[in-house]
Amino acid sequence: MIGDTRSRLRFAAKGVCKSFATPVLRDVDLEISVGHIHGLVGENGAGKSTLAKIVVGLEDADSGSLYLDDQPYRPINTSDSLGAGVAICAQELSLVADLSIAENILLHTSTSSFTRIRRKRAEENASRLLDLVGLVRSDPRTLVSRLSLAEKQLVEIAKTLATDASLLILDEPTSALTAPQAELLHRILRDKTRDGVTVIYISHRLGDVLSVCDRVSVLRDGEVRLTNDCNVLSEKLLIREMAGEDADFEASPRSIKEVSSIHLAVKDLQTSKLPNPISFNCRRGEILGIAGLAGSGRTELLNAIFGLDKRIAGSIKIHMDHGIAETRSPWQSIRCGIGLVTEDRAKDGVFRDHALAFNVTIAGLRRIADQIGRLVRRKEASSVAKLIETLHVRSNGVDQKMRELSGGNQQKSMLARWLHCGSQLLLLDEPTRGVDVTAKLAIHTELVRLRDAGITVIAVSSELEELQSLCDRIIVLSNRKLVAEFHRNNWSQEEILAAAFSEYDRENDDSSAAAS
Amino acid sequence: MNEFGSRVSRILEENLIFVSLIAIVIFFSLISESFLSLTTLSTLLNQLPALTVVSIGMTLVLISGGIDLSVGSVVALSAGVIGAGIAILGLPLPLAACLGILTGALIGFANGSLGAYLRLPIFIVTLGMLEVSRGLAYLVTDSQTVYLGAKIQSFAVPWAGSGISASILVALTLVVVFEFLLRSTVFGRQIVAVGSNESAAEVSGIDPRRVRCTVLVLSGLLAGLGGLMNAAYLGSADPNAGIGLELSAIAAAVIGGTSLMGGRGSVVGAFVGVLIVSVLQIGLAQIGITEPTKRVITGAVIILAVILDRWRAT
Repeated sequence: MIGDTRSRLRFAAKGVCKSFATPVLRDVDLEISVGHIHGLVGENGAGKSTLAKIVVGLEDADSGSLYLDDQPYRPINTSDSLGAGVAICAQELSLVADLSIAENILLHTSTSSFTRIRRKRAEENASRLLDLVGLVRSDPRTLVSRLSLAEKQLVEIAKTLATDASLLILDEPTSALTAPQAELLHRILRDKTRDGVTVIYISHRLGDVLSVCDRVSVLRDGEVRLTNDCNVLSEKLLIREMAGEDADFEASPRSIKEVSSIHLAVKDLQTSKLPNPISFNCRRGEILGIAGLAGSGRTELLNAIFGLDKRIAGSIKIHMDHGIAETRSPWQSIRCGIGLVTEDRAKDGVFRDHALAFNVTIAGLRRIADQIGRLVRRKEASSVAKLIETLHVRSNGVDQKMRELSGGNQQKSMLARWLHCGSQLLLLDEPTRGVDVTAKLAIHTELVRLRDAGITVIAVSSELEELQSLCDRIIVLSNRKLVAEFHRNNWSQEEILAAAFSEYDRENDDSSAAAS
Repeated sequence: MNEFGSRVSRILEENLIFVSLIAIVIFFSLISESFLSLTTLSTLLNQLPALTVVSIGMTLVLISGGIDLSVGSVVALSAGVIGAGIAILGLPLPLAACLGILTGALIGFANGSLGAYLRLPIFIVTLGMLEVSRGLAYLVTDSQTVYLGAKIQSFAVPWAGSGISASILVALTLVVVFEFLLRSTVFGRQIVAVGSNESAAEVSGIDPRRVRCTVLVLSGLLAGLGGLMNAAYLGSADPNAGIGLELSAIAAAVIGGTSLMGGRGSVVGAFVGVLIVSVLQIGLAQIGITEPTKRVITGAVIILAVILDRWRAT
């Protein structure tokens, strides 16, 4: 009887493809039996979250088909997929901060916008769900904005459980949870599967995945590289599959620079978002890579160095020709020759409705002004024209609106902004995100050229290949701690990945050791 | 010929508000014989200075992504301070005038500190300050119109034969100065940057709070000057002056192409916006349109301006 239900497929995907600027999912096949917990692992950008979004109707596949209980299935939005019994607990928390826990759970379960809210019943229901996920002492009337991150995650899980869906997708459900909390969640999931619920479990915590899942699929570059039963898999094997066989990336033909003087010295740096002290040095004219999983503190580290996030301890010393300076604000950092290209160009990079020239000169307006602070247009135009020529920014001239430029050209003009300022130290957060292959190569070439001209670069990237082809040295962050340092020609993708995963698993081990 | 046509249409499009202003003037000259006259021009110019300087400040605030609802009341408060200074304290006119303008700047500084540094919603802060300033204006004048006499009026009365007063000359100069500030100085660029993308501006080393606060101080200061101009025009300090002026200033700025979302706008545009609204008022009155109908038409013109602006932007 049990064997019979287990062999039936609850969910299947056949030949699913999805591209944004570049392919994210290629020909993905997946089969999940009823009552299974199926793990989905892979590096950042491997396509896990995109696949999950397609399954619940947040994205639409370019080609390929999905099946629920062997019936073709193509949800157009989340209420559509919910109707079909598919619910997601998303990575980006989707709770409404100004509503109570009970109201948030209700929002997710009520079928009509005009159903009368039965407060008492909603609160009892919420309270029962909170007990289930281990938030025993929480009042369902508490506003979500007052909860900690871990509590929010548990409410999000409770909300998903409240839907009574028979296919649950959990995207990084334990990222903010402690080991006992995660253990409780895993117990709930196992109970659920006994009632015939099927679970897709996406996580960076390989230990969790191996302990809770029946089967695991590894995604790499949008392809399913491996699907197998958990009892024949190990963390090591998973990491190797995630990294791929071509892990020894071809080093670009250039010499490692001789040791030069220190340019940036970060000592015991702590911010509210980086609770563990971080120390490292960066030498003049080197390209230093920062590797780590999404949420490992990479962006927060760059923001802290630049002075966007206030530091609560430690020091950031920048060595310049005429001495050493400490920086505390973006303004001071720029004066000390630091420039930051942010991860999300649209959000905090470009001024899209303004001209290319406006965008390039905005951080260094004094360089195009005369003594009385008047901007000299001729100076601006010629200075910007020179920069966009050296960086090969393709445009109709310096007056073209930024929004009309391609992603790659926008990204290059972000570099131009700091070159215009005469920056000596560039902090680059995902310098080639969302740009095509040619532009990516052009940016890489340019960064190496800048390095050879004596400019120091610190680059964050989710693509290990990019860091390996670009950097002289890579430091690895894991769970907001600096865990490893690798030198060029002395690294492998597997080692770097293992380091990036290390703190997530160790945290579990530590706390379970303490518990026992 | 075709190319010429497209060039003409482009020029017309880029200078839409100037074209609209000229069209309105031509329209009224054709309908009403008395419209194109020195009297009309003089009436027009005499009304303008206070609204013009207030609109300059409003435009800067809007471009920075903020709003200043307090300016109308600040005009009355500044006039009240000048009136009280002269009539009660017996201060000399220049000193009283400076005191009035300074009061405006102080209100602006309060707006800026609360809105920019304490990050309170600027709409609510300036709405509150609208009430505070109006109340203060009644307090300093004891709710009475304070008569100030001919001395202060010399500021607003046209010089013999020219039809131009000191007031309007100051206002026009400020339009030019602030347009220059906006277009061609580091600070002007910073205002535009903050209004267009605050976090990108911060990454570019601009302190958005300082910029937002400074434009609010400027707006308060200019409203203070507006109070002086209003008192000079009336020859008295009226605590009921400037009611609804903030809305006229916003309308003028928007007609002049300033975006309420911030990041885009022009001081000269706002001035043309002031002219359009004023010409419309006078023209409609001359052809015998009643006050209620005038308001309907003026309101419709404001909405039309926004529609045209949206159409032009896409």
